Amino acid sequence: MKLFTAASILALSLATALPTVAFAADKPVVGLVMKSLANDFFKNMLEGAEAHAKKRGDYELKAIGMQNETDFESQLNGVENFITQGVDAIVIAPADSRAMVAPLKKAMDAGITVVNFDVSLDEQAKKDAGIDLAFVGPDNRGGAKMVGEALAKALGEGGKVVILEGNPGADNAAQRKLGFEDAIAAGKLNLLDSRTAHWETEEANSVFSTMLTAHPDIQGVMAANDSMAIGVVKALDAAGRSDIKVVGFDNVSAVAPLLKDGKLLATVDQFGSQMAADAIDKALEVVAGGPKLEGWIKTNIELVTKDNVK
Amino acid sequence: MKGMSMKLVLRDAGIGIALLLLIVFFSLSTEHFLTPNNISNILTQITINLILAIGMTFVILIGGIDLSVGSMLAFCAVVAGTVLTIPDLSVFVAVGLATLAAIGTGVVCGFLNGWISAFWGLPSFIVTLGMLNIARGAALQVTDARTIYSFPQSFNAFGSQMVFGVPVVFLIALALVAVAWFVLSKTVFGRLLYGIGNNEEAVRLAGHSLMVYKVAAFTIAGALVGIAAMVYMARLNIASPIIGIGFELNAIAAVIIGGTSLSGGRGTVIGTLLGACIIGVLANGLILFGLSDFMRQMITGVVIILAVIIDKYRERITAA
Amino acid sequence: MTHSHSGAAHRTVAEGAHAPVLELHDVRKRFGGTVALNGVTLSVAPGEVHGLIGENGAGKSTLIKILCGIVKPDSGAIRLAGENYEPQTPRDAKARGLQVVHQEFNLLPFLSVAENIFIEHLPRNLFGVVKRDEMNAGARKALDAIGLKDVDVRWPVERLGIAHRQLVEVARALMTDSRVLILDEPTATLTSRETDRLFTIIDDLRSRGVSVIFVSHHLDEIFRICDRVTVLRNGETVFSRPIGETSHDELVRGMVGQQLQKEMASDTISSAGTETVLSLVNFRHTQSPHVDGISLDLHRGEILGIAGLVGSGRTELLRAIFAAEPPLSGTILRGGKPAVFRSPREAIQSGIGFVTEDRKEEGLILTMPIAANVSLASLSSVSRLGLLDRTMENAMTEKLGSDLKLKYGGPSKQAATLSGGNQQKVVLAKWLARNPQILLLDEPTRGVDVGAKAEIYALIRRFAEKGLALLVVSSELPELMTLCDRIMVMSQHRIVGELPRADFSEEKILTYAYQGERRQTGH
Repeated sequence: MKLFTAASILALSLATALPTVAFAADKPVVGLVMKSLANDFFKNMLEGAEAHAKKRGDYELKAIGMQNETDFESQLNGVENFITQGVDAIVIAPADSRAMVAPLKKAMDAGITVVNFDVSLDEQAKKDAGIDLAFVGPDNRGGAKMVGEALAKALGEGGKVVILEGNPGADNAAQRKLGFEDAIAAGKLNLLDSRTAHWETEEANSVFSTMLTAHPDIQGVMAANDSMAIGVVKALDAAGRSDIKVVGFDNVSAVAPLLKDGKLLATVDQFGSQMAADAIDKALEVVAGGPKLEGWIKTNIELVTKDNVK
Repeated sequence: MKGMSMKLVLRDAGIGIALLLLIVFFSLSTEHFLTPNNISNILTQITINLILAIGMTFVILIGGIDLSVGSMLAFCAVVAGTVLTIPDLSVFVAVGLATLAAIGTGVVCGFLNGWISAFWGLPSFIVTLGMLNIARGAALQVTDARTIYSFPQSFNAFGSQMVFGVPVVFLIALALVAVAWFVLSKTVFGRLLYGIGNNEEAVRLAGHSLMVYKVAAFTIAGALVGIAAMVYMARLNIASPIIGIGFELNAIAAVIIGGTSLSGGRGTVIGTLLGACIIGVLANGLILFGLSDFMRQMITGVVIILAVIIDKYRERITAA
Repeated sequence: MTHSHSGAAHRTVAEGAHAPVLELHDVRKRFGGTVALNGVTLSVAPGEVHGLIGENGAGKSTLIKILCGIVKPDSGAIRLAGENYEPQTPRDAKARGLQVVHQEFNLLPFLSVAENIFIEHLPRNLFGVVKRDEMNAGARKALDAIGLKDVDVRWPVERLGIAHRQLVEVARALMTDSRVLILDEPTATLTSRETDRLFTIIDDLRSRGVSVIFVSHHLDEIFRICDRVTVLRNGETVFSRPIGETSHDELVRGMVGQQLQKEMASDTISSAGTETVLSLVNFRHTQSPHVDGISLDLHRGEILGIAGLVGSGRTELLRAIFAAEPPLSGTILRGGKPAVFRSPREAIQSGIGFVTEDRKEEGLILTMPIAANVSLASLSSVSRLGLLDRTMENAMTEKLGSDLKLKYGGPSKQAATLSGGNQQKVVLAKWLARNPQILLLDEPTRGVDVGAKAEIYALIRRFAEKGLALLVVSSELPELMTLCDRIMVMSQHRIVGELPRADFSEEKILTYAYQGERRQTGH
């Protein structure tokens, strides 16, 4: 479905409609490359960035997004367009940790400051391309470990769990899975099965129902995002199993009632709305002549449970 | 029609046998497959695809294709979800209005699909490809890309209601199959859909307006998308603009595995029911069998191709 | 009876002169339970034009398929140029010097005429690039040779009419030298003028020593062009004779086994009334170049024939009356009152039926049951509240079936299972089910065998007696002359002549048809 760039066109028109001063002003221009704007998480992030741009008022924000999680093409085109437009900085949440390296190298060669956030680019790919690029972002693995440990604590040693993975090949999916596995090892949990549901509610519902049939003794579920956690909770409702504990990731607004009811034990908030804004701040520092960024600049993450849900 | 329906029965019987073999295989090879719980799980899991595939059967029978059903599902769901969450409505009124809204949205999109392709003589492949984007965009626009939730409790509960271990939503789908079967095999309308699929020009020159029937087929598909959207919401208790991606392909697969010819004019909705069951049983059984996700996807692909190859042979045998 | 003795004598002489180029001895073929060929024996001398006739189902198609390597015989011997001949594929057959111009068209519609003609040996330069100029020039020559001067070789084949496609097919076959050329009903789609051209070509082939097997339903053509004729019936050779030793009657008797031709020869009493049911005034279809269009009157109970060469606008006229394609201008009067048909639906509602030229593409839904085809234009009379009543539908099919002497396995059998003649009867039944007042017929007996033809003629006459007005387009002049009360001749999209039954003659009709043609090309 990568042909369809409707969402990115939508986002572009949205970006141009922003109440900013004309290009002629010598404010630095920041190109923000987002992932799927159909996802609450990135939607919030974009809004956070827009609010941030308004508040600071000393730079111009241009944003693009993509149709869905696997639509690499529109990101690629977006980066190339930004290079052509000669923006001062590109701030990007890459759709794929390898595919985006080459176009970003092109941007850096063109003298554009590039800041990578949300998902880290692949180290090896960066090395192969001969670029050194800092990463501003949350620790997906750490977050997953955090929420996984919350589950481990609730279940105790030997608890039987399954994992619902994100899209195979996506870096954050892989990191979260690793984090879950860290928690499983640390908490001495017993992993029964791990399958992808492609981040999707309906598929998670179906896949999990079937896993539950295969392993009726499941005690806990680790879902790599909240959309899938919602599907799992529904499957448990349908099966009449209130004894199984579920954890998710992202803290989307739709899980608030589930946390309050205790149907979802915990999720992780990455403060997405701030993440883009933070990355933009870092980029502007460099544009203004600040030192080059290095390594991994971790952003804040927080465990959300019944006790602190809003 | 006796000879023709006999042939159709034979055709469906072949698919039925394939389904039976799959069921036997999984029953023997896995522990939990043939348990009441798992069966009701499978039935729940195939419901949405089945409802979409019924509509797709109408469209494919006239030689069309509808690529927009997945996006339309999202659009119908968010429109209905918006209605369903209007505060201060009684549950009864809210659900009634939401159902109307879902079906109404589906009908409008389906009508446009049919009308645009019939009026300008455009291939429905292209028109519905356009609608795929329009409906998805509209769903995002309407919700500002947010997920709608907190539906009335009784509505949420309805989605997982069972009657003697059979999910109510599946019974709804089954009733729709029955209605569709009746319409396709017993009415003048159904006869002409088959006629158009086989030889459009002969039907036109016999004094029938192709426009009416083509538009109707797409509109029916749209209405069924609306119903599927309500089922989705009742089952998962959310309405999000990003649901349903790729659902059209599953629906098409069910129709094709069910023995309906992609070039139109041949096939039954009973076949579609069996096709949807085969897809559902495979998805479920292969997980229970312990196969990896990737192998699972490959096998599903193989089955689709096999179905079409087998159909080719069946066609040759019945033609001789 | 006289011919049989002298026939034998003649044969010995002919065979003594030349060893036969193609010989078949007791060739048999079964398809499952049906016997297609039950002992065919045939011998073709070099430079001989050999007529092959027989009703549909007599085994002609199977025989041709065997000869060109599509089907293998079960038993029997075939020799070509003195050697055993067992072609495995059409390519084999071609390599051995046997070519077939098929009845079904094998042209690629989106390629140009030239590309189609050269498809098997495109002239290429060193780099494998097609030498377009050379190809086009070659194709031009090939078309000129068969008299197709008005066709541009760069046109895509889809732009050509059915007759021109047939001639292009012949041109393609002539590109390769062959020992034996089989023409499978080449004249079915041709007008007399084009048939004449084809016969000139055949004469030329004969003089070059090429043998031609000529398959046709038209006995007059067999007598015109053939040296010898073989009659098949039920998969067997009935007899094989020099043409001079047989007669029209004998051939027909050989084919049908009875004297059905009586029906065709019988003199008719006109049932044409005076009441005008349909008038056209300056009526133009979209391709009509003339402002004044076409004007005619059709009366109750009348059979009005429309003759003309292919491309004279006959089919287009019928389609425009029926609103299959919307007309350009002019007036239709239906029973004296102006009528405008915006779609076939409206024409049908006004009591008009249309038996189209192309039965398989436009007339029937071959893959659907016979009953569904019969009821297709009158579904409201076999349904209540939109629900089909199968009992009523079958009853209607059976009634019309027996009225039209339809030979079929039952209402639920696919229309594709019927022979050409019976398929055409189903099309007629579809319209009769509506009780129309006017029936438009375009080539009503195309692809129909002799026996069924006679039956269809009888039916058409019976319809007229009951008051139905019929407008018949046909390329077969004997057909029009047998059927019609009046014939109008069209040329270049206008009526150039009109003949009452008393004045019918092929000569007069052709004179009109060519007159219009000459007028057009004269300046």
